Amino acid sequence: MKVQILGSGCTKCKLLEQHAREAVSELGIQAEIVKVMDTDAIMEMGVMMTPALAIDGEVKSVGKVLTKDQVISYLKGGK
Amino acid sequence: MAGCSCGGDCEVKLLYACSGMANTGMLADQVWRKLVRDGNGSGACLAAIGAGISGYVQSAQNATRNIVLDGCMVACGAKIFEKAGLPYEHYVMTDYDVEKGKTPITGDLIEAVAKRVESLINERTKA
Repeated sequence: MKVQILGSGCTKCKLLEQHAREAVSELGIQAEIVKVMDTDAIMEMGVMMTPALAIDGEVKSVGKVLTKDQVISYLKGGK
Repeated sequence: MAGCSCGGDCEVKLLYACSGMANTGMLADQVWRKLVRDGNGSGACLAAIGAGISGYVQSAQNATRNIVLDGCMVACGAKIFEKAGLPYEHYVMTDYDVEKGKTPITGDLIEAVAKRVESLINERTKA
């Protein structure tokens, strides 16, 4: 599984990354967490507001710092 | 990227145009480009919403306002948003003294319609 954190690297992006790492750790799953900081790459995914979270290439959330539990829900396949 | 980023509380306006084949679609496209150039919001891709591209759909879901410009009352843009279950504001070029298949699209017409739509967008901002 690939989890992408899209954002410029600001505090909120870092917080989302932290929550994603905690979520992955809590679920005990194998997941690669990748930061996408390049604006062109972010725009190519159609993301207009950051931070955003994508799982296996599908954008699940934009413009929000998801909580750890919200990330867990997405990792479990929730919408 | 939209003016507001990194989870700020400011208003994020995304603009879309139908860009259909008729003169009215062309007008919608040109008015959209002018509105984006003039800083009325960020341009976004209507086709990507229709195609269900997740990043665009999620961005529309979280935008403060989605402003859809359609050329005519076939309203493909509005129907795409309805199908996707997304909220939107709707402006139709034929509501601005433009006749589908007849009115020539000139620079003056683009300016005039953009001005009228811009003022309606700003009125809603104040409301």
